[in-house]
Amino acid sequence: MANFNTHFMVASGASAVVSGTLLSMEVVSPQEAVIAFLLGVFGGLLPDIDSARSTSIKVGFNVFSLLITAMIVFIKSSTYSLIEMFIVAGLVFGGIRFVFLDVFRKISKHRGMFHSIPVAFIFGIIVSILMQYFFELNSQVSWVYGFMITTGYFVHLILDEIYSVDLQNKRMKKSAGTAMKFGKFKTTKDKIQTILIYASIPLLMTIAPDTTLIENALFSNDAWLIFKDALLPTDGKWFFH
Amino acid sequence: MQKSFKITILTIAIGVFSGCVPAPTPQIGIGIGGAIGQNSQNTPVIQTPQPIKEVEVDKEYGAKPLNYVTSIRSYFTTKIARGNLSTYKYGEPKRAYKRKGFAYGGDIAWKGWLVETSIATPTKTGRMLTPKPYMVLFSGEQIVEHILGYNHKLIVKVDK
Repeated sequence: MANFNTHFMVASGASAVVSGTLLSMEVVSPQEAVIAFLLGVFGGLLPDIDSARSTSIKVGFNVFSLLITAMIVFIKSSTYSLIEMFIVAGLVFGGIRFVFLDVFRKISKHRGMFHSIPVAFIFGIIVSILMQYFFELNSQVSWVYGFMITTGYFVHLILDEIYSVDLQNKRMKKSAGTAMKFGKFKTTKDKIQTILIYASIPLLMTIAPDTTLIENALFSNDAWLIFKDALLPTDGKWFFH
Repeated sequence: MQKSFKITILTIAIGVFSGCVPAPTPQIGIGIGGAIGQNSQNTPVIQTPQPIKEVEVDKEYGAKPLNYVTSIRSYFTTKIARGNLSTYKYGEPKRAYKRKGFAYGGDIAWKGWLVETSIATPTKTGRMLTPKPYMVLFSGEQIVEHILGYNHKLIVKVDK
């Protein structure tokens, strides 16, 4: 299993490559590319939030509680006084950062379903829904942000699987296969959990933003041609255009 | 000389000289399409008057934009890459409204007319791409904002 620093570094590298590619393909603007990069890094740390003592859970919950607090302050800024906002912000931040985190630590199990492929997709879909409904972003940018979360998430899962190979002793560690899995099927509880996770994907898709634009932007013939144009210097000159 | 006397003289002088500014010569015309005999070298052509477009004003959604084609084209010239080299197709204005994102309260943020526009832009290398759909939001003749795509969860099109 890779540690926090490794996950952070690899997720940053992968996220920079993907967001840079999207920028040069003109799928996102420079400002959107920066946010896409940050979300990719965040996605790369997300799977470990089920580990009670990990740095990811602290970082994840700090970011999440700050985001929700800032959002509430924005919503209520026109109606609440400064003191009211200060009290509400404190309560919300404390509630998420300490109370909710404590409950979450008790109910979650490390290397449970958080380390699975369907959950990577669920986080991506949820982010794209939030981006459209909460921040009014268009379908394409909302899905790009969701895509970045899922990409970062996958990078984490792949890295964990790579680290489950012991190269010196030439054997697989006990953790092999626990990071990148399609579900858990050992007990009845595991099976129900897996079914519920899979069932939530089509349900979330009913309220998710339209996918036509992102399909055209990333997976169409046009996208491939744009990518080819962006890949190499079109005028044949390297660095001296 | 008294101050009041100076002011009176100055006012009269301004009045006299402003009266000397050449006024436009009265033109004999038949209404829309210009005056007959304005250009003496040309054969006067009596143009049939164009029907004046009536501005459709909706109590809730405001005036329907009439010059949306010109407005959209000039708006996108600066908003998208190579907007001046793009080809545009326009739909008819539709009544619509938009809610604010839930992060900003979720109230109705805009009510007006929406024009669905498809824009085909060339790439950096000049290759023409498949047209992209846009929704252009108008308040009267004024463009409020544009949104990529023909669908958005916070936009409700009243006219189908």
